[in-house]
Amino acid sequence: MTSPAHRAAASPMTGRPEPAGLADVLERVLDKGMVIAGDIRINLLDIELLTIKIRLLIASVDKAREMGIDWWEHDPTLSVGERDLAAENRQLRTRIAELERRSNGSAQLNGAAEREESRE
Amino acid sequence: MSRASLTYLYGLTRATAALPDEPGIGERPLRMLRLGNVGAVVSDVPAAEFAEEALRGHLEDLAWLERVARRHDAVVQACHRAGVAMPLRLATIYVDDRSAEQRLGDIAEEAEQTLDRLDGCDEWGVKVFESSGGARAPVPADTDAPTSGAEYLRRRQAEMMRSGDAAAAAAAEAESVYRALAQHAVDDVKHRPQDPRLAGRREAMLLNAAFLVRRTDAHAFRAAAAELAAQRRDDSIVLTGPWAPYSFAGTAV
Repeated sequence: MTSPAHRAAASPMTGRPEPAGLADVLERVLDKGMVIAGDIRINLLDIELLTIKIRLLIASVDKAREMGIDWWEHDPTLSVGERDLAAENRQLRTRIAELERRSNGSAQLNGAAEREESRE
Repeated sequence: MSRASLTYLYGLTRATAALPDEPGIGERPLRMLRLGNVGAVVSDVPAAEFAEEALRGHLEDLAWLERVARRHDAVVQACHRAGVAMPLRLATIYVDDRSAEQRLGDIAEEAEQTLDRLDGCDEWGVKVFESSGGARAPVPADTDAPTSGAEYLRRRQAEMMRSGDAAAAAAAEAESVYRALAQHAVDDVKHRPQDPRLAGRREAMLLNAAFLVRRTDAHAFRAAAAELAAQRRDDSIVLTGPWAPYSFAGTAV
């Protein structure tokens, strides 16, 4: 991959430099275009989850496909309802608070150990 | 609910615009619904694939999503090149033309104003990544082991201040790129930075911006972007476009 800035600059103004990356296309068609209410509704929350998931996913999707992995098709976080999310959110907050309490005293020691290791 | 097909909207344009020579999703032909001065570019899509429940399932199938998203984008871009287009979000679907026309009637006036604002402009995307050789270069210091806990803490504090400074400096630099390019644009917006892995990179994305640029100013805009990129002597500024004005089409109506 050479600099896309140069590719774009070298291309005619009205044409596309090259097929846009899937991430850039999805970012626009899912997140950006104007929203007018349709009869068939995709919940905005679904779009939000989908976008986040896709952002994390696309980088490795070709490789995943080669390997026949299709876990995103069955991933429940893409289709959970609002209530489940809220519950999950609460659970996670509680866990984080607990972990923070537990690790409070030992964090700096751990930091020192990591620093030493990374120098090796 | 026994309809075999639904009406899928790609974008809004002027009622006088010609339909682009592109197939719609699933190779179905494009049609134009007209309301006053505003036209909606639509095609039929099979209900079996795009009704609410089926759609929900398909959105989780990345191969399906890519196919539909790329076709949606191709139609929107073609409308944009043919005149002026207001892109709609993926999967804006009505049960039939009549229902779509009813909704369009409600927003036609506002849409016309937006089309006037967007006319003659392209969207350009600019991403700024952390400079590969610059701000976050490892600091050569304190290579010996700390001799005491206090010494360790002192070093740790100094290190955090250095990396804090570096992060602040990088953010300020990205901001100056944004401001410099905004001078050549009629509108601009910052989006959430993407996960850098999407671009196949390790450096953090500092800025993910979109600019609405008049075609007559496009040369100056791109020259400015190229100059900023040259100053950084690496590929940390990435320009994409020209896009249809997705980021400036307005929000919910």
